[in-house]
Amino acid sequence: MSLSEVMASLLLLSGCLFYVAGTVGLLRFPDVFSRLHALTKADNLGLFLICTGLALHSGSLRIAGLLLIVWILGLLAATVSCHLIARRAVRSGQMEPPA
Amino acid sequence: MIGLAMDCVLALGIVFLAVQTVRSRSLFQAMLMFIVFGLLMSLSWARLHAPDLALAEAAIGAGITGALLLVTWRRLQAEGHDPVESEQSAPSMWLTLPTAGAASLLVVIIGWVALQLPAVPGTAGELAWQRLEEVGVSNPVTGVLLGFRAYDTLLEMAVLLAAWLGARAVATEFRPGALPGPAHAEVPLVGALLSLVVPISILVAVYLLQAGGSAPGGAFQGGAVLAAGGVLLCLTGRLEAAADTSGLERLGLILGLSVFSLVGLLVMAGGGPMLALPGAWAIYLVETALLVSIALTLVLLFAAAPGLRRAS
Repeated sequence: MSLSEVMASLLLLSGCLFYVAGTVGLLRFPDVFSRLHALTKADNLGLFLICTGLALHSGSLRIAGLLLIVWILGLLAATVSCHLIARRAVRSGQMEPPA
Repeated sequence: MIGLAMDCVLALGIVFLAVQTVRSRSLFQAMLMFIVFGLLMSLSWARLHAPDLALAEAAIGAGITGALLLVTWRRLQAEGHDPVESEQSAPSMWLTLPTAGAASLLVVIIGWVALQLPAVPGTAGELAWQRLEEVGVSNPVTGVLLGFRAYDTLLEMAVLLAAWLGARAVATEFRPGALPGPAHAEVPLVGALLSLVVPISILVAVYLLQAGGSAPGGAFQGGAVLAAGGVLLCLTGRLEAAADTSGLERLGLILGLSVFSLVGLLVMAGGGPMLALPGAWAIYLVETALLVSIALTLVLLFAAAPGLRRAS
């Protein structure tokens, strides 16, 4: 196993760990805001680690560039949908925003 | 080893989600289960080395169908039927277990018989594979869809048009309310996201169409991606329902069917068999027309409106 393969595996594994942490947070946290916090932050980092791991594994600049676009699009969609969900939760008055 | 484990997880997950979709007491939960079911189906097509089907299932099965189901749920809620509250009775175990058992047994018997059959030489698939060059594209899926089974594809477009006409007839009778969701219209982040994502959806749709000649892709996948951009514009209040279908929309709806038929008939006038597309340029022409019609039909179905116009 070459060094880059070991690095890629480590990155993929740690990415999966972040996904698991985000999912546990989504299932266990008590309200909308802390759930969103767990999900979007952990998953964005998890996606970054997995994309970096895959880019390293592929060893091709073109695929690395495509994975970068995938990560940026994922980030943008997660940010805006998180904002909209939190906004709706505040507006509908079901939840008090965190102090 | 890891591959086998993943296949087992996928197979068990699909059966579990199917059971949950049928047995779920809340309509909303059943919808979510069905969307995730479509996602797992897409993954299993990818595992079976059928990337074309995986793309189509992800874009249409999970994406557009999911959006249609969720918007229907919102409309039901807006009209006062709260589908979360109305608990439907789950089917009785005495009926479901024997039915599921009998169906599984049938699948096992059919699969076992299929595995026992001797391979027949010269099946349609082999013949199509050998003569793929004559169609003019190197992706066998596009070649079969537009070269060897053009009738099927043409009639699929007719079915799509008929589905829209049916939905329109029903919608005139029941008049579904305005699109739920434009409450987000004024959020600045939404405008910024749209100005990036909608052009990308057009770019990806055109790329999928162009790639369909030599790699997984094609009019149906591209049309679904383009429709996703349109659905976003409807959801964020950039497009709103119009009272009638405009001339341009009518043209777009029938474009696929008419260009396909016209090219097919012109070939016949030139002495060839009907719908035998003469080369790659004809395939790309027909696919472009199909893409426009598919995308427009899906967006209009989502909006449940006769037509759409720019929000004022």
